[in-house]
Amino acid sequence: MKRRRRAGSRVLTALVFLFLYAPILLLIVFSFNKGNSNIVWTGFSLDWYKSLFQNRLIMRSVYTTLLVSLLATAIATVAGTFAAIGFYSLRRRSRAALSTVNSIPMMNADIVTGVAMCLFFVAFFSFWSGFAGWFNGVQSVVVLPERLTLGFGTLLIAHVTFNIPYVILSVGPKLRQMDRNLVDAAQDLGCTWMQAFWKVILPEIKPGIASGALTAFTMSVDDFIISYFTAGSSSSTLAMTIYGMTKKRVTPEINAVSTLLFVTVLALLVIVNLREARAERGGEERRPVSRKLTRLLDTPRGRMLRRGAAVALAASFLAAVVLLTGATNAQPVVNVCSWGEYIDEDLITRFEEETGIIVNYQTAESNEALYSLLKSGAGDYDVVVPSDYMISQLIEEDMLAELDYSQIPNYALISDRFKGLTYDPQERYTVPYAWGTVGIIYNETMVEEPITSWSALFDDQYAGNVLMFRNSRDAMATALSYLGYSLNTTVEAELREAFQLLKDAKNRGVYQSFVMDEIFQKLEGGNAAIGAYYAGDYLTMLDNNEDLRFVIPEEGSNWFMDAMCVLKNAAHYDEAMAWINFIASTEANLANMDYLWYASPNQEALEQYPAYYEELYGEELGQEVYDIIAAPQEVLDRCEAYLVLPMETRKLYNDLWTELGI
Amino acid sequence: MSKELIRLRDLCMAYDDELVLDHLNLYINDKEFLTLLGPSGCGKSTTLRIIGGFTAPLSGDVLFDGVRINDVPPYKRQINTVFQKYALFPHLNVFENVAFGLRMQRRPDPADPKRKTKLPEEEIRERVLEMLEAVSLKGFENRRTDALSGGQQQRVAIARALVNRPKVLLLDEPLGALDLKLRKDMQIELKRIQQQVGITFIYVTHDQEEALTMSDTIVVMDKGSIQQIGTPEDIYNEPKNAFVADFIGESNIIDGVMVRDKLVQMYGRQFPCLDGGFAENEPVDVVIRPEDIDIVPVEQGQLTGTVTNVTFKGMQYDIIVDFRGFKWLIQTTDHSPVGARIGIKIDPDGIHVMKKSRYSGLYGDYSSFSDEYDELDAAEPEEGGNET
Amino acid sequence: MKPKLSQLAIPYVIWMALFVVAPIVLVVVYAFSNDLGGFTLENFSRMGTYAVVFGRSFKLALIATFICLLIGYPVSYAMSREGEKFQRAAMVLIMLPMWINFLLRTYSWMSILENNGLLNQVFQKTGLLRLYNGLFGTNLDYFPMMNTQGAVVLGMVYNYLPFMILPIYSVIVKLDGSLVEAARDLGADGFNVFRRVILPLSLPGVLSGITMVFVPSVSTFAISKMLGGGTELLLGDLIEQQFLGGAYNPQLGAAISLVMMVIVVVCMVVMNRFGEGEEQAVIL
Repeated sequence: MKRRRRAGSRVLTALVFLFLYAPILLLIVFSFNKGNSNIVWTGFSLDWYKSLFQNRLIMRSVYTTLLVSLLATAIATVAGTFAAIGFYSLRRRSRAALSTVNSIPMMNADIVTGVAMCLFFVAFFSFWSGFAGWFNGVQSVVVLPERLTLGFGTLLIAHVTFNIPYVILSVGPKLRQMDRNLVDAAQDLGCTWMQAFWKVILPEIKPGIASGALTAFTMSVDDFIISYFTAGSSSSTLAMTIYGMTKKRVTPEINAVSTLLFVTVLALLVIVNLREARAERGGEERRPVSRKLTRLLDTPRGRMLRRGAAVALAASFLAAVVLLTGATNAQPVVNVCSWGEYIDEDLITRFEEETGIIVNYQTAESNEALYSLLKSGAGDYDVVVPSDYMISQLIEEDMLAELDYSQIPNYALISDRFKGLTYDPQERYTVPYAWGTVGIIYNETMVEEPITSWSALFDDQYAGNVLMFRNSRDAMATALSYLGYSLNTTVEAELREAFQLLKDAKNRGVYQSFVMDEIFQKLEGGNAAIGAYYAGDYLTMLDNNEDLRFVIPEEGSNWFMDAMCVLKNAAHYDEAMAWINFIASTEANLANMDYLWYASPNQEALEQYPAYYEELYGEELGQEVYDIIAAPQEVLDRCEAYLVLPMETRKLYNDLWTELGI
Repeated sequence: MSKELIRLRDLCMAYDDELVLDHLNLYINDKEFLTLLGPSGCGKSTTLRIIGGFTAPLSGDVLFDGVRINDVPPYKRQINTVFQKYALFPHLNVFENVAFGLRMQRRPDPADPKRKTKLPEEEIRERVLEMLEAVSLKGFENRRTDALSGGQQQRVAIARALVNRPKVLLLDEPLGALDLKLRKDMQIELKRIQQQVGITFIYVTHDQEEALTMSDTIVVMDKGSIQQIGTPEDIYNEPKNAFVADFIGESNIIDGVMVRDKLVQMYGRQFPCLDGGFAENEPVDVVIRPEDIDIVPVEQGQLTGTVTNVTFKGMQYDIIVDFRGFKWLIQTTDHSPVGARIGIKIDPDGIHVMKKSRYSGLYGDYSSFSDEYDELDAAEPEEGGNET
Repeated sequence: MKPKLSQLAIPYVIWMALFVVAPIVLVVVYAFSNDLGGFTLENFSRMGTYAVVFGRSFKLALIATFICLLIGYPVSYAMSREGEKFQRAAMVLIMLPMWINFLLRTYSWMSILENNGLLNQVFQKTGLLRLYNGLFGTNLDYFPMMNTQGAVVLGMVYNYLPFMILPIYSVIVKLDGSLVEAARDLGADGFNVFRRVILPLSLPGVLSGITMVFVPSVSTFAISKMLGGGTELLLGDLIEQQFLGGAYNPQLGAAISLVMMVIVVVCMVVMNRFGEGEEQAVIL
């Protein structure tokens, strides 16, 4: 009876571990996959490990993650230990009050913590710039930097803040278990307070400190949400990079780096645990090596050695901090925010090598999300690549800086038909990046007949198999097109009608999900039949699933232009100009056009692309493919570009959009 | 035994507005074994902590060898402590625990008097081993402290304190966690050690028997004040008030009136005694120790009463006798059955007359006999002793 | 010496005031202001519209918490009965998944649960799907698992289960064995030992486990976005949308955060009152 129960509980435990490790196992297995799929096994290879080390974006974010986690853990462990000792010696009532405050970062939802800190930093920065301005005005001895931004510093502060409670929580009980007289006894035997701390308290609470530090480190590495709100534009943690990818396709390089991390930690933990177990078995016997070391360190020379080592350690720690904050400042940098998989990453490497300017490259999900990032102050970029209507809005709100076209000679290469468009008629703020159309992508094998109309997106026939845009402007545009209204309508009734169409379809279960770049893996994997998305992305998907088809519906659609702009007060204006000029070159445009399958605004690139393609792949580029990339004029004539909407309409969009989610 | 070493002047201490020490004045002689005795909460441990430097008094002075040491931190005082439950360092073995204080010591370098050096390792080793031998723990150097019995831990704690050759050793209820037999042995051992090393011991306990056995001087405390200071004999034989009489040994405390010198009246009857110096007809407390009472036939007795309870104690019987509603404890070698009418006789030197105090009427009646009796006997060992 | 010791807490108290309390105060300020900075209650007056989202989030989080408890308690209990070596290894194994970023682990679930995902392929290959179709007369090509509330709950359980197991385990493992013996001595059978001794004594761990699972569940946005398909917003999505998402309105976001915070705090206070306010059980 008893044995059977035992076996039962073992089975349960085993099942739980299987549950916990199944996805991880899958992840690790597919890091050795030849192809880039996460489901289909195409053979063993170590390619992803190799290419991982060439992927600067990932390597840099791994570095940032490890650095911020290590620093935050170190700081939080020291601070938390002292704070725990302070708490422990407080009166009961004040201790209870402080413990409550202490548990806020743990008890509070991560997103609220992140948001609150973001608001706080931004508010503090604006206060600071006022103060520094005044201070620099009254005196000239010390010059304070007027502009502070979110970045590694704020990221570190945030991590330290949410780590300390874990340390306090695991050190506190150890302190409470400790005989209060131990400290008195040490002092009685000739220790100063500090010596008593080192010789008595520390050895007693060491296990608590160690487990606190481990927990803190783990939390730091695993954290995404708080980092997301506090890291700013210049630093990305691994989690943030992954988040950017989960929308589209997580490259197996991420599987590889995670596998490496996982195996390292596993090995470390196994070693530590084995040693601990051995130490316990060995009783009081200290290991001979460490004893020899202690004896060595107790000689006068050893003491010098020890002191030297401590100084060296502290120095290297400081150096790391300085390097980290200083190096990034010393080296020229440009902070760019674009869309997911919207650049051939080799271009970044090439630009960095040519100019020595480091590119911090982040992505936003949609124009609206970009706007939020800029407004909230969480995104402090130099160059952004918004779409036409958003550019108008940013200009309207005086958020863009005029470009110095003398530094962008390649602007001349831009086709005249893409210059002076409605969003920037005087050609003062923008250099076009890429353009394209919106249409319906569908899986031929999953629909009855070819799709030609927007009606497919509202059709019960495809219930549960339709993917809809997760941004208000594009989603509403599909409905407005279908209803035959202008995409730029400001008539509330028309907008409400379009909204109702979406809402009803949603309630009837037509939509499998609202997506942005997640659409790639959903359509490629055959997990959905129909989705509205951008033409260029269709071709990328086609590479991975030949059953996909693209159509610009008969009702017409949206054509868009994304253009590079520089934000007002950009910290790296000249670097931004260099970047824009580099990207505007024919060479870069060809590379991008090939990578994105979005049309280039560069006239030479547009003309040379078929030849470029042939040279690269040894086969001819089909006309119909070229037409999908760069829609011919008659198609464009059927399409409408977005214009900036008036304030009230934008508000209505926001409200309707939020309501749609409910 | 003559030179004054420590003086406490007008010490006051309070925790959370509760007065723990109330203008305490005390001096302690060199090489003396002094015990602070009192119930829990009487301020004896606080006094000890103030001497040790772990607690600062609210007001008043602590003088050591005539120098005020209020602001001297504990690690600079020539005083060491044996803590309640020993406070041995769990992460160090026996040797390292004892060596701890020596490793902390610095003394002028003989080669360069301006520099301070550690004690040489050989000297530390020698002194630790010597001290361990003195407390009969030779061969235990490498043991973990939590693998020792309570008595052994106790001796490690003493060795750890004494190895530093302090001028004063403070002991905070050091025997509380030991069982009765071990406690008795350790009492003798401690006294022996004190005489051997020839330094001042200040000992805190609530166990009167411990105090009587070991001390040169006993300081009886209650509610933050000293009730009586004296040799064990003085304290036992001439208690100053009902509290002391009750706390030290067993006492029958009876309301009386001092008729005149050497004559006291109880129960309307007059008893000759040896005390004097009171006003005529002054109300007083009369203390009569249980062993000073002789049982005699009823007709010969100064008082007669009824036996209500008899307990065999090995060497004697404890008899509770009811005298007009007031119950006395009598210790005698003669057996009297329950219900018997007996007479008693008290010699004049068995009667101690005390002035009335705030403790009058609180103690000395054995009506609630069993409770009080048990409590005194059990000496309430503190919770949490970790004997293994 | 005492005052000196408690002074050690001062730097952290300042730190907390600056980086914990001040930001939350700022959230409160935002919640009560309009986009021009003036005082308004408008943000709260719109809260009624989002009642559905609140309801859905709390419902899913409660289900996830309950499942975690249902799985976590027996596992913690079973673990505490095992040998020391096993326990040590098990603790490591439970912490270890956190070293693979939770986004990635959740992403991995996507490829398992998709209509064309690993599980469905297994079902197809093993004929389970055909069997099911035959039995129930349905004509399914796959079991729809992705983009459902079930998938979101699964994601929550998967990600936060360790936070349930760790505190419960750490409390149970510290229980004095003699208590169980005493209970048996007094005539309690196995079930009653559990119900009357072990369960009440492990309550602090259970409570802190519940908190540590419920709070992140109720406020998650990544999990619901990835596994839920974004068709049904959760609170976390709603808040994220207001701050960094498609509908910029930080004041409204702050107000929603505030309401959520208040509800959570009230729940916790009630629960802790009920569980006699034991200090947080420690994880690890």
